[in-house]
Amino acid sequence: MTIPQLHPDAAAKVQAHRAKKELMVSLGLAPELPADWREKALCKFDELLHQRRSLALYMDICVRCGACADKCPFFLGTGDPKNMPVARAELLRKVYRRHFTAAGRVSGHLAAGEELTDTVLNEWFTYFYQCSECRRCAEFCPFGVDTAEITMAAREIMASIGVAPKYVTEVIKKAHELGNNIGIPEAAWIDGCQFLEEELKAQTGLDIKVPVNQAGAEVLLVPPSADLFVNTDTMVGYALMFHAAGIRWTTSSYASEAGNFGLFLNYEHLKKINLRIVDSARQLGVKRLVMGECGHAWRAAQAFMNTLNGPLDFLEPPCPEHICELAARLIRAGRLKLNKSANDGLVVTYHDPCNLARGGGLMEEPREILRAVVNDFREMPANTIREKTFCCGAGGGLLTEELMETRMNGVKPRLEAFRTSGATHLATPCAICKAQFPVAFKHYAMNAQVVGVMDLLGKALVL
Amino acid sequence: MITQFLPALLYVSAVIFIIGMGRRIYIWVRTPVPLNIVLTPAPKHIPGVIGRLVGELFGFHALAKADRSLWTPAWLFHFSLVLLLLGHLGGLVIPHFAQTAMGLNEKQFEHMAQIVGGAVGILAIATLLWLLIRRLILPRVRWISTFSDYFALVLLLLILATGNAMRFMGGLDIVQARNFVAGWLALHPVAPPSDPVFSIHIVLVCMLLIYIPFSKLVHIGGVALLSPTLNQRNNPREHRYVNSWDKANDNSTTSS
Repeated sequence: MTIPQLHPDAAAKVQAHRAKKELMVSLGLAPELPADWREKALCKFDELLHQRRSLALYMDICVRCGACADKCPFFLGTGDPKNMPVARAELLRKVYRRHFTAAGRVSGHLAAGEELTDTVLNEWFTYFYQCSECRRCAEFCPFGVDTAEITMAAREIMASIGVAPKYVTEVIKKAHELGNNIGIPEAAWIDGCQFLEEELKAQTGLDIKVPVNQAGAEVLLVPPSADLFVNTDTMVGYALMFHAAGIRWTTSSYASEAGNFGLFLNYEHLKKINLRIVDSARQLGVKRLVMGECGHAWRAAQAFMNTLNGPLDFLEPPCPEHICELAARLIRAGRLKLNKSANDGLVVTYHDPCNLARGGGLMEEPREILRAVVNDFREMPANTIREKTFCCGAGGGLLTEELMETRMNGVKPRLEAFRTSGATHLATPCAICKAQFPVAFKHYAMNAQVVGVMDLLGKALVL
Repeated sequence: MITQFLPALLYVSAVIFIIGMGRRIYIWVRTPVPLNIVLTPAPKHIPGVIGRLVGELFGFHALAKADRSLWTPAWLFHFSLVLLLLGHLGGLVIPHFAQTAMGLNEKQFEHMAQIVGGAVGILAIATLLWLLIRRLILPRVRWISTFSDYFALVLLLLILATGNAMRFMGGLDIVQARNFVAGWLALHPVAPPSDPVFSIHIVLVCMLLIYIPFSKLVHIGGVALLSPTLNQRNNPREHRYVNSWDKANDNSTTSS
């Protein structure tokens, strides 16, 4: 995508809604900005600098070479210079220099240091919630400076002084109370699964199970909750695959959500949300844990779960396993009978969710599956796929109405690459991507569809 | 006066540089890495990680992927800086050893130093100017540039300019320079060479040494080696990373 002209403050007005007092209190966060918020924020900043080498190092070493500047979808889409990863990081770095370095304390502005003021805090809340933590910038940084680490730290500091978005905190509250992000009670999850079983019986004439809370099952599958109610074809794909492979599986009504919005707010909630899944696996006595089609859930589970909630040695390796890893394994072993022509008429390309590609390296298996279930599979341009993939524009807690302008700008580079591919269907194993793309296709009047990888596998399965 | 001042300034600067860099690196190394945040695809085993780090350290691999028009001057500049440092070591600190090791006589050695050192000196200043001009003309890079970015560039530019001036104007007596370096290293300082450009060069180098630990130039500490996104393995499932400030295994058997 061509590099835009600079439009200072082009995105300055787009801001997430702030969470109200009661919501903040329910998550154990400061209800509102305290009188001594500056001291509290700096104190939290200091704590994080002592806890995370990434932050300590990335505050010091950036040389502002600009290699990352044109790699961010939100900068490419808006032209707002503060959406360049280096400039976004500088919002935190200038406060770091002023308060935590000798040069900044001595020479202030000459060392590009700045006091933490209301204006700075407002900028933080704006631009650190216009970052999807996709880490594309880090991929191109000579020192591996990861803006997601900086964004996470800034969000954690803000949450500690009572500043957090309504959307992210609401979702976290639902996850703690009901076990899923869309806020459905356990009974509704059980009903939903039963309903889907009846549908499948009507369609196929077979007894295909969508089990819930089956103690002693071999596999606990944790899908994003949207798979049961919105992206139902994905859920059908899981059910058909387990049926065809003869694997006893179950979902859990207690941990009915793979997604972990704690990743978008702070360490404490990341850990706590993950814990439901581990507890559920232990309680149901399953042998293995499989994660469904969700991008950031994969990072939270694959990279962090063993540390945060482990050891996971009561489960068989690989733990957790991604549904695409399992499916690819079954295909390789010849345990699934597939008929590619069931998906004829579809021109399919694959969109790598950021957290699968850069937060776990899961890039081959989904392609392996697609090649096995689709006749016309093609790639988008090489600099926009695999570890160089462009974010859908809604990751990192941005999937909310009031950030629509940011989302529609952030998706531009991905859509441009998609158009180049000539595909009609964009396959992706991520619930956030699946919610974002239909809106984007409509917004830009594109005749295209988003599907899950397991949807296509399900359609090609010969039962 | 300059006889005492210059070596003293050099001692002070060197001490500030060593302590300052040591302190920074100590802080980074001491700070925990709570989670596995490696950028994938990443190696699963140590030799692969070493390969990745070598590629970043010596080839600026990520930068090459990002922007060839930045990688070229950046790599050439850093490469020429390393050569210049080696040249100073061979020509000023251990000239007899370097000359013998290369199998040259004194005249040949000086001649070689003149040609290679001169070429690298010009390469360094040309690529540095390239980086400065890039910073000034690319709107997005200019937008993010701060005073310290320009200060570092100008300081290095002046050091290279004075260095090149001594080489090409022929005012420096190399024997005097070697004596000065030897005396300084032996803690028995002697008078600096009579060429005033030499003293200016040294003062600028002292400014740089003092500036490095307190600025973005700390990146010469080989920071890619310490960066968790680059130096970790992609094995969080096989190997449990323990967070040193959150070791407590507070997994309940059930919390429902």
